[in-house]
Amino acid sequence: MRIESLYFWQIVAGLSVGTFFIRSFLIFLSSHIRINNRSKEILTFIPAAILPALIAPLVFFHKGQVEALHGKERLFVLILATGVSYFAKNMLITIGFGLTLLYFITQS
Amino acid sequence: MFFRGFKAMIPITTGIIPFGLVMGSVAQHAALSTGQALGMNFIVFAGASQLAAIDLMLQHASSAVVIATGLIINLRFMLYSAAFSPFTQKASFLTKIICSYSLTDQTYAVLKANEDHFKTKNEALRFYLGSAVCMMLIWHSSVVLGFIFGNFMPPSLSLDYAIPLSFVALVLPTLKNRNYFYVAAAASILSVLLKPLPYNLGLLCAALIAMAIGTFLTRGRYAD
Repeated sequence: MRIESLYFWQIVAGLSVGTFFIRSFLIFLSSHIRINNRSKEILTFIPAAILPALIAPLVFFHKGQVEALHGKERLFVLILATGVSYFAKNMLITIGFGLTLLYFITQS
Repeated sequence: MFFRGFKAMIPITTGIIPFGLVMGSVAQHAALSTGQALGMNFIVFAGASQLAAIDLMLQHASSAVVIATGLIINLRFMLYSAAFSPFTQKASFLTKIICSYSLTDQTYAVLKANEDHFKTKNEALRFYLGSAVCMMLIWHSSVVLGFIFGNFMPPSLSLDYAIPLSFVALVLPTLKNRNYFYVAAAASILSVLLKPLPYNLGLLCAALIAMAIGTFLTRGRYAD
């Protein structure tokens, strides 16, 4: 389970240098270049493309324990939590609802 | 202006605190040392990519895949810095560094929402720095709290499940119209179908194809 130290710091180093570059290079170039609206629009698709791609396999392939839901209780809860989150527009409520529902489903 | 920025950030912290608590307790459950958890949090300072990285590290994904995935998540900051860059044109080198480092979803959102109130670029900068200081204070303290108290959470609470839940809450507000919804749906389906690819590459491929779909769906809108 433990994450090896060298592996961990390698990743943190790569992630931080890369992230700082992403955040800074347009700010440092600000007096020299302009970004067109089309590129800006394409960038707005990033969260919609990457976050669901992270969530879906994590939840879909999870082997659960509730037989009535074929072990897919996390998928079931996620679908309901998505509905709740859509209306509540609040992270605390989404996480609270999801964890509580999962707790009751798996403990009952 | 600095304090107005600081104050404008306070309502947003209702979203930062639970995310920080999750970040801290996930780091604790992944058996990171205090140095690792705090170090990562201070150096990277980008929650969603940190959560994804910890998750992939626990699956022993290759370093290149973990870094690439995290960086793709953080590519959205490029959009923010593009929008932010007019304010920093005349700023000093140090200010530019501080502004870059502290650029987050929340500081960007607060600046964007108050854009009309600034008389000068300097005012905007001071407002931004105030909101960034507030953001960092709240974020780092909630991560520390999560890291300390994550220990007392029983395993039956399945705290790791808070990661997908927090991502749902992060992504939903970004689905501004049908095109974004199609991109998100394509990304979910493709990531499940491409899961068998080695080195967790399915995730990256799914995201890139979904981006391409979004680009295709909105083609020709800026024909000028």
